[in-house]
Amino acid sequence: MNRYFYYNIVLVSLLNLMLFVPYLLIQHRYEGSIMSMACAAIVGSILALLFTHVMKTYPGKGLPEILTLFFPKFLAVPFMLGCAFMWLTAASIVLYTYSVLINRFFNPDTSSIIVLTFMACVCLYGATRSMFTVIVVMEVILVVCTPFILFVLFKAVRSPLLDWDAIRTVAHYWNRLPKVKPFASSLFVFTGYMNFFMFNRLNSPNFRIRFRWFIPVFGSLILITSFFVPIGFHGTDGSADYLYIWSVTSDSLVMSYGFIERVIFVFLLLYLMLSLMFATIGWHLAMELVKSCLPQPKKPVDPAKTPRSNWVIVCVFVVMTITYAYTFNEKQNLEITSYWIVLRACVEIASVLFLFALSLAGSGKRKRLET
Amino acid sequence: MKRVRLPLLLLMLLLPLTSSCGFRDIDKRFFVIAMGIDQPSNGAKGFNVTLRLAVPSPKIEPGSGKNQVVSIQATSIAEAVRLLKAHVDKELDFGHCKVFMLGEGLARNNHTDMLRWLSRRRDVQSVAYMAIGHPDAKSILNIAPPDERYPGNTLFLMFGKDGTQSSYLVPVYVFDFIRRTEERGIDPVLPIIRAEGKSYVITRLALLDKTKLVETITPAQTETYSQIRNQDSKSTVAAVKDGDTMVINVDRISSHYKIVKANGEHVLRLHLRVSGIFEEAPLGIYEANWDKLEELFNEQIASEIEKLFKKVQHAGVDPFGFGLRYRATHAGSPQTWKDWERIYPNLKFDIHVRVKIDGTGLVK
Amino acid sequence: MLNRIEMLFAEARDLTLNRLQNGNLVIEVAYIATLCDESKVSDFILVPFAKQEIPFEDAVKRNPSFKRLDDPAKWAETILHGFVLLQLNGVVYKLDVARIIRNENPQTMVETVIMGPQIALSEDLIDSVNIIRSRYPSEELSVEERTIGTISKTRLLLVFDKHRVDANVLSSIREKLERISDPIFTATGELVRSLGDRYRLFPSMMVTERPDRVCTGIEDGKVILLLQGSMFAIVLPSTFFDFMHAVDDSYDSFWMTRAMIVLRYFAALLTITLPALYVAIMSYNPELFRVQLTFSISGSRSAVPYPSFVEVFIMLFMIESLIEASVRLPKYIGSTATTVGGLILGQAAQQAGLVSSIMIIVTSVVAISNFVIPVNNMSTAIRFLKYPLIIPAIFFGISGVALGMFCYLIYLSDLRSFGKPYFRLFGRTQLQSGDIGQVNQE
Repeated sequence: MNRYFYYNIVLVSLLNLMLFVPYLLIQHRYEGSIMSMACAAIVGSILALLFTHVMKTYPGKGLPEILTLFFPKFLAVPFMLGCAFMWLTAASIVLYTYSVLINRFFNPDTSSIIVLTFMACVCLYGATRSMFTVIVVMEVILVVCTPFILFVLFKAVRSPLLDWDAIRTVAHYWNRLPKVKPFASSLFVFTGYMNFFMFNRLNSPNFRIRFRWFIPVFGSLILITSFFVPIGFHGTDGSADYLYIWSVTSDSLVMSYGFIERVIFVFLLLYLMLSLMFATIGWHLAMELVKSCLPQPKKPVDPAKTPRSNWVIVCVFVVMTITYAYTFNEKQNLEITSYWIVLRACVEIASVLFLFALSLAGSGKRKRLET
Repeated sequence: MKRVRLPLLLLMLLLPLTSSCGFRDIDKRFFVIAMGIDQPSNGAKGFNVTLRLAVPSPKIEPGSGKNQVVSIQATSIAEAVRLLKAHVDKELDFGHCKVFMLGEGLARNNHTDMLRWLSRRRDVQSVAYMAIGHPDAKSILNIAPPDERYPGNTLFLMFGKDGTQSSYLVPVYVFDFIRRTEERGIDPVLPIIRAEGKSYVITRLALLDKTKLVETITPAQTETYSQIRNQDSKSTVAAVKDGDTMVINVDRISSHYKIVKANGEHVLRLHLRVSGIFEEAPLGIYEANWDKLEELFNEQIASEIEKLFKKVQHAGVDPFGFGLRYRATHAGSPQTWKDWERIYPNLKFDIHVRVKIDGTGLVK
Repeated sequence: MLNRIEMLFAEARDLTLNRLQNGNLVIEVAYIATLCDESKVSDFILVPFAKQEIPFEDAVKRNPSFKRLDDPAKWAETILHGFVLLQLNGVVYKLDVARIIRNENPQTMVETVIMGPQIALSEDLIDSVNIIRSRYPSEELSVEERTIGTISKTRLLLVFDKHRVDANVLSSIREKLERISDPIFTATGELVRSLGDRYRLFPSMMVTERPDRVCTGIEDGKVILLLQGSMFAIVLPSTFFDFMHAVDDSYDSFWMTRAMIVLRYFAALLTITLPALYVAIMSYNPELFRVQLTFSISGSRSAVPYPSFVEVFIMLFMIESLIEASVRLPKYIGSTATTVGGLILGQAAQQAGLVSSIMIIVTSVVAISNFVIPVNNMSTAIRFLKYPLIIPAIFFGISGVALGMFCYLIYLSDLRSFGKPYFRLFGRTQLQSGDIGQVNQE
C-alpha cells in the first residue's frame, strides 16, 4: 500500500538531524551548500523515481530475490552484505548519537554507554520481530509523532526570533559550486525509498505507486527547514559552532502556554521515538539481508514464531554498536559519520542504477517472452 | 514460568546500574533561579558569582517564596559553581535558572569570558533571559520582593510574556545574545535592571559591541528601539504641540528599512507606520486638523529616531542589525562585509514616519 | 445396562436406576435425579409406560426426542449432562430432561450502557442462542457444538456468520480447541487462557456479556464462543481498538462519542505512564515543567523522607488494595471502603508526610483513567502495565519511560489475534490496491 512507502520517506527525511546532515551543510554554508542541496534534490528524486520502476517490475520481491534472478549466489552475497552494512551503520550511528544526546540533555550523570546498551536492547527486541510488525510499528510511531514534529518546525518558522536577514545572507551564497560532502549529506534526506529494497517483499502484485511528487516536495521542504532554520536562530556565524544544532535550536523555542514550556524536551522525546524506529528498521533490514545470505533462506513475511537466527544476528549488531561507541569518541564519531555519509551516497547511486538496469533487462526479457 | 524468567533475569542485571545513574529526588535539589556574575570588588582576576536559590515551601501564599543567596569569588565561573556546592546542602540544579545577570562593571570591561561558560553548559536554557545589573548583579539578586508567591516569580513575570509587557523592557534570550555576539552585522543589547526599594526597575537598554558595554540609551529611546526592531505594539508615541504633550497609544506598527545607494553615498531608508488612538491630549483635539497633527507627530518622531540612530552610529555599534540587512541584500562574498565596515560610519539616514490617528478615545 | 452404569459412577445417592416392568415389557431407566426435571421423566417415560395407551415401543420410536445411543462409552457423559437413558428391547435411547438452574433474564452488570440492550447473555446456552438469534435473524448464522474439558465436558457453542467469517481464523480456532486438554472449565476466563492468552500482556479475545457486542461481532465476521454455565461470551479475533470501543459509541451523539474515544486513549496513556513519569520527573528531569509547578511540587515533597519510587509504590499499593477490596466486599460495604480509603487515608498520608500532595493527584488520576476503559479484561490488563514501566523510569528517567513505551508499542504490534494483526492502524480499509504482506513467497 502506498502509505507504507511514504512512511519510509518521511521517517528517513525527518531523521536527517540525527546524522549530522544540518551540521555538515552549515559547515559548508558559504561554500556551496545551497547548490549541493539543489543538486541532491534533483538526483535524489530521480533515483527514487527510478527505484519505483524497479518496485513495479518486481512486485513482492526484495533485493535478494531480484539478485538471484540474475546472478549466482556467490556474486549476490557480497552485494547484499555491503547493503546490510550500510543499514547497520546508519542505525548504529543514529543510536550512538542519540545516546550522547540523552547523556547531554536528559541524564547527565548516566554514562552514555549504559544508555546506549539499554537503547540497543530495545532495538534488539524491535528488530527481531517480523517484517510486518516492524512496518506496523512504524506507522503508529509516525502517525503519533509527525504532527508534533511538524508543529515544532512550523512554530520555529513562525517564531519572531527567527532572523530572516541571516537566512537571506546565507541564501546569497547560492552561486557557489556544489561540493561532495554537503551533496552527499543532503542526498540522505531523499533516501527513504531505499528501505523498500527489502520492504518490497510486503507489496502485493497489483501494487501501484501514486503521489510520486510527494518525494521531491517533502524532501526539499525538510532539507530547507533543517538547513535554514538553525541559521535563522543562531546567526550566519554562530550556527557553525554548535554540534547538536537542532537540539539547541529547539531549545530556542518556548511554548508559553504549553504544558511543557520548553520545546526541547518535546522535540527530543519525539526524536527519541523516531531514532529508535529508524534503528529498529535499519537493523531489521540488515538482518533480513544477512539472513538471505545464509544457505536455504526462508522468507515468510510474518512468521508466527521468531526464528533463532534473528536473535543471533541482531545480537551481533548490538555488540558491534556498543564496541563502536566504546572505541570512538564524539569527535571521531562525527568524522566517521561525515565520511560514511559520502560512502553511503555512492552506494546508493550505484546500487539504484544497477537495480534499475536489472529491472530494464527484466522487463525486456518478459516482453520477449510475451511476444 | 519460562516466559517470566527472562525479564526477571534482565531486571537483576539492571540493578547494579542504580549506583551510576544520577537518581536524585526533586527535594534534594536546590534550584538556581538567577545567577549573577560580577567583577571581584578588589580588582583581582576572576569572577564574583552570586546564585539565588529557591527554598521550596509547601505554602502558596503571597510572601511565601523564600530565597537563599550565596556568593563566592573564584578565578573561573566553573570553579565558583563547584565551590558554591560546598556551601549548600543540596545539589545545585541550573535547569530552572531563567535569569543570567552581568554586573555593570563586568559588562563594561569584558563579557566574553562568561559566554564561554554559558554556551557550553548543557543545563543552561537557551531561552533564559539575560540582563545587566546596575550597579552590580549581586545587589540586584539580594533583593527579595516581599510578596512573591514563588521564589523568583517577580523576575520571571517581568521578563516573560505572561506577566507585564512593558515597552521599556526588551527581553533578551541567551541564544539571542550569543547569536548577536558572534554575528557580523548585528551587535548585542541587554536590558539594565536596577533596584528600587524592595523591587526591580527595568527601563533602559545597554548597547554592547562584541566584547563590552559601550553605551546606554534612555527609556524613551529604548521604547523607540523596540518599536523599530520588534515592532512592539504595546507602546506609545508622543509629540508636543504648543507646550501640550500628546500621546498616541499604538494599535498597529510596522517598520521597514533598507539600505540604498543615492547620490554616491549609502542611505538607510526607514519607513515607520504607526496608527492608534489618543491616550492623552488636550480637550478639543477632535476638532483640530488631524492631518496637521499627524504631520507634527511624523516630524517629531522622525527626529527622535534620527537622534537615536546617530547616537548608535557614533558609538560604533549596530544593535538594529543594519549590517546584517546590508549583507542580506547584497551579493554573498567576503567583500560585502568589508564594504559595510567602510560604509557604516558614514551612513546617512532617511527616515519616513507615517502616523495615522484612528480616534481620540472616549471624548472629543 | 444398569449394572454397568452403577459400576461407572461413584456411590451417589442421586443416581437413580430403575427397572420397570409392565406386562412382558421391561425397560431400564437411568438418570441423575438432581440434574433432571423429574416431572419430565414421568411425563415422557413413566406415565406412558404405565398407561400403555399406545404401545410404548411405538411412542418411543415416533417421538424424535428419544435418540438412539449406541456407544456405551458415552453413557456416563450423557447422564451427566442431564439426559435420561432408557433401555428398551436392548436398544438404548437418550432423552433430554435437564433441569438447569440459572439466573433469569439477567441485567448487564459488568459492561453497562445508558441506552442500549439492558439484558445480558444467559448462563444457559439455549437462552443465549435465543438472545443472539433474535437479534441476528440470518440464515447464515451457524451454530456449532462441541465439548471441552477432559472432566467437565462442558458444552461449548461456536457461533458465526457462515459468509462473513474468515476461514483461516475459524480453522485456527478449531485447531486450538482440539488441542486444549485442561480438565475443568467453569468460566470463560479459563477458556481464554487456554486459547493462548495466558502470558500475554493484552487480551486478544474479548469477553463480554452484551448481546449487541456479540451481534456486531458476528456481523464483522468474528467467531463467538459460548460456554455452558457462563453468561460471558468470547468474541474473537479482537484487536486493541475493539477493546477501546464502548457499545455506546454507536448509539450516542456522533461528535461526543468520537471525543470520548480520544479521551479513552488519552486516559489509557495516562494510567500507564503517569506513575513512571512521576518518578522520572521527580528524580531526573525536574526542569521539564514550568518553574512554578516545580517549586510547588518540590515544596510539597520536602517532608517526604523516601525516594520517589517508594512513594509511588506506597500509594499504588493503597489504591490497588482499595480497588481489590471494593470488588471483593459485598456491594453494601464496598462503597464505604472506598470512601474510607480514598478520603481519609489519602489525606492522612499526605499530612503525615508519607507522600506528597501531587502523588495523591497522580494516584487518583491513574485509578480514574483506568476505569474509563470500557471492556473489563482490557482494563485489568492495562492496570498491570504501569508497574514494569516504573523500572526503566527509576534507572533512566524520562528517556527510560519513552524507551519502555516503545517496547510496549512493539509488543502490541507484534501480537496477533488468531492471525490478525492486533494493533494495526487503519487496518480495516479495504482498498483495491491490495494490502501489504498478502504475498508470501513460494
